[in-house]
Amino acid sequence: MSRQGGRGTESKKMYWYLPFISPSASLQLMNSELFTLTYGALVTQLCKDYENDDDVNKQLDKMGYNIGVRLIEDFLARSNVGRCHDFRETADVIAKIAFKMYLGITPSITNWSPGGDEFSLILENNPLVDFVELPDNHSTLIYSNLLCGVLRGALEMVQMAVDVKFVQDTLKGDSVTEIRMKFIRRIEDNLPAGEECCPFPFPWRLPMLSFQL
Amino acid sequence: MAVCIAVIAKENYPLYIRSVPTENELKFHYTVHTSLDVVDEKISAMGKALVDQRELYLGLLYPTEDYKVYGYVTNSKVKFVMVVDSSNTALRDNEIRSMFRKLHNSYTDIMCNPFYNPGDRIQSRAFDTMVNSMMMQVC
Repeated sequence: MSRQGGRGTESKKMYWYLPFISPSASLQLMNSELFTLTYGALVTQLCKDYENDDDVNKQLDKMGYNIGVRLIEDFLARSNVGRCHDFRETADVIAKIAFKMYLGITPSITNWSPGGDEFSLILENNPLVDFVELPDNHSTLIYSNLLCGVLRGALEMVQMAVDVKFVQDTLKGDSVTEIRMKFIRRIEDNLPAGEECCPFPFPWRLPMLSFQL
Repeated sequence: MAVCIAVIAKENYPLYIRSVPTENELKFHYTVHTSLDVVDEKISAMGKALVDQRELYLGLLYPTEDYKVYGYVTNSKVKFVMVVDSSNTALRDNEIRSMFRKLHNSYTDIMCNPFYNPGDRIQSRAFDTMVNSMMMQVC
């Protein structure tokens, strides 16, 4: 099939949910290439600004964190998931609902640790890295580090402290991209003064993804 | 199966040139360089006609006794030049067209790589693999 005319039709489409203000238009398809090119431009500009791969990785993580703390609200509003009872449910929700909603891919969950607090997300294809080839002078750059920050920020907003890092990366020659997520602890809410004696959950707290021990 | 494949930039300097067998490399560089004149001639000749009907594939540029040279120009004035062995008469026009289409697709993929600056020499492993698959297997 000739690509010259049909480049747009062959590339992957992303499902882009419009906000609820226009109920008639509920689903629109967006070409993923603009998204991929935008992310690529972001990373290369960071590389030029910082010149040190570690600094770029840290910045990507920070940016991802800022996105994550905002994205969790959007995710909870759209997906209407209830409280997760354990970390396994959280993992399922992340892989099957969140990744599908925002990136259009469904990673698989593997490699659970014996304690049930660590798992791996395996992504066969990563839409952020289409067409990207890492040059040799950036061999320690974690190109998709933004994703780690997003996951960390989003889970922190639902009272879970997690550690997210890349273990395998297709850009570095591995066959799949693997993200390792480790549960560290539950973040206790800081109760307002005078209410510490109340044992019941406060009614104004929205249903959240939280790990119940 | 090509003997030499070259990608020439808009300003007529080479972005990528690879030939197999490697001992006659200079001769192929010279052949590609001289073929650029023919490419320019074809572009200007077709330019006087309707511009939107200009085809990307230029066809046979000129035959020598050993080799045939084919050309292809993109709309951004990047030229692909392919040198093919004359003794290989089984190669039909369709096959040459499809080889150029593959080259164009790979070139577009390289352009999408955010680490590639347009105008740099092409150093992509994926592009090398694709070109190797099109080159003649010399035992």
